[in-house]
Amino acid sequence: MEKGGSDGIPISLEEINKLKEISNRARRNVIKMQFYDQSIHVGSSLSSIEILTALMFKVIRYSSDPLNRDWLILSKGHAAPALYALLHEKGLIPEEELWKIQDIAGVLQGHPETFIPGVDMSTGSLGQGLSFGIGVATGIKMAKGTGRVFVIMGDGEQDEGEIWEAMTHAVVRNVDNLVAIIEMNGFQLDASTKEVKPKDFLPEVWRAVGWKVFHCDGHDVASIISTVSEAVNARKPSVIFAETKRGKGFPPIEDTKRQRTVPDVARQFLLNS
Amino acid sequence: MLRGSFSSIREAFGKTLVSLGEKDKDIMVITADVGDSSRASYFRERFPDRYFNVGISEQDMVNFAAGLSAVGKKPVVVGFAMFLMRAWEQMRNSIGRMNLNVKVFVTHSGYSDSGDGSSHQALEDIALMRVIPNFKVVVPADAAEVERSMEVVMNDKGPLYYRMGRDYSPPITSTLDYKFEIGKAYVIKEGDDLAIMGAGVVLWDALKAAEELERMGISTAVINVPSIKPIDSSTIEYFARKTGRVLTVEEHSVYGGVGSAIAEVVVKTYPVPIRFIGATTFGRSARSQRELLDYYGITAKNIVNASLELIK
Repeated sequence: MEKGGSDGIPISLEEINKLKEISNRARRNVIKMQFYDQSIHVGSSLSSIEILTALMFKVIRYSSDPLNRDWLILSKGHAAPALYALLHEKGLIPEEELWKIQDIAGVLQGHPETFIPGVDMSTGSLGQGLSFGIGVATGIKMAKGTGRVFVIMGDGEQDEGEIWEAMTHAVVRNVDNLVAIIEMNGFQLDASTKEVKPKDFLPEVWRAVGWKVFHCDGHDVASIISTVSEAVNARKPSVIFAETKRGKGFPPIEDTKRQRTVPDVARQFLLNS
Repeated sequence: MLRGSFSSIREAFGKTLVSLGEKDKDIMVITADVGDSSRASYFRERFPDRYFNVGISEQDMVNFAAGLSAVGKKPVVVGFAMFLMRAWEQMRNSIGRMNLNVKVFVTHSGYSDSGDGSSHQALEDIALMRVIPNFKVVVPADAAEVERSMEVVMNDKGPLYYRMGRDYSPPITSTLDYKFEIGKAYVIKEGDDLAIMGAGVVLWDALKAAEELERMGISTAVINVPSIKPIDSSTIEYFARKTGRVLTVEEHSVYGGVGSAIAEVVVKTYPVPIRFIGATTFGRSARSQRELLDYYGITAKNIVNASLELIK
């Protein structure tokens, strides 16, 4: 098994720059994907780029042994384009498949499916990844495996009732090998989270239920990595509230509820940046 | 293989589950706070480390089981039929879509939770579960068939919905000698003029009706169809051809359930007239399951009357 690099090991500037390069390429590829398919969730995907980069290129230990490897569950499945762009960086998805996203002849579905290389859980319906992650983490613990489980959720997703069921359950199981990451990008489908249903109380709720609560800058790979390495050593279920922006790094939609722009605007942006 | 150790469906389930747990250490039992009512509690007493009560959280229960199965465990989800339907979408989107080896065993289906009334009486679950790709659906006839079929079901790979009631279990299969297989229907009684087909405890009413019809000179076959999906097309077609008339009986809505599944086979293979006996609306409270079956007309008398209409 590949050794996890993050645990207690300081990250070098060189490494940070390398991760930033990966993020930048993935970000550009997500923006480019909308040339090929107009309906992908660009804004939600750009909110997840650095978190996925940090996890997939610094934290997660890959192996074919389900009990002694780490699991990555993208519970906010609509950020699939970001996951695919990073799976491409990992060499698991060829570039030409990226441009066939949601195409009837392509493999990449609108939401993650386990038949896509590198996908650990089929998602798309919100609120289900955490429960699944608790099941995986419990199975690993029972078998005394070393695998860890990372579950990425959205802030809007926290409206789902199953989140409450799972949040309270994780504490009972004491899945200290599970880290939940909630992206606080401030928007859900129809409007800002403030307008739809405020989320400010969430960290207090998770803490009160019994989780170890962390915060990080969800667009700063160093912040993400150091927080994740604390979280995996917390000896109890931990959750990271990651401050992110919807559409991060793509000014035409950044920090708005807009998921995408017209292809010409995107093309101009890619040419100029 | 004769079976007849139990007179209650859930007793048969709870005890058989323990004996399967002795043989297979990967079996994990997960309930949403209905361990005692479902008799999954017997497993808890014997294997506390492999028993999880997730609390009154059916959606979480389903995905938790999905996660356990993803790392090689054999989860058995146990709940009330009605409240598993609250997690239908989780069963569809996680268990079904990923084709995971999760077995969903429900009790309290049909009118079996007589006292609690319509909020607890699942009369729609077969329809809902058989439409999910990858899911198989099994409805045992009685306690003896529960005992006979559970090991076969557990050894099958993939998602499966197993539908049980509570205690009411009139003898249907206990004196029969057969090996249970998923996808097979079983002839309980031969006949030439009419075939009654169905699943669950109401097959007892079908047998009573067949006796009455025989007295009237109508040779009536009774077919037990415990495997709703996959369904035994060849046996159903054989009897449609042989008798020319089919009557279905189920403790479930006639819309989309056992009768519908049988009718789909009949119209595709050898179309003959069909009548459906089952529920058509919500249930209500009563002192017993039997009272409700009588109240809603899932009775030998009604089967006889519908049969006579088919015959004339």
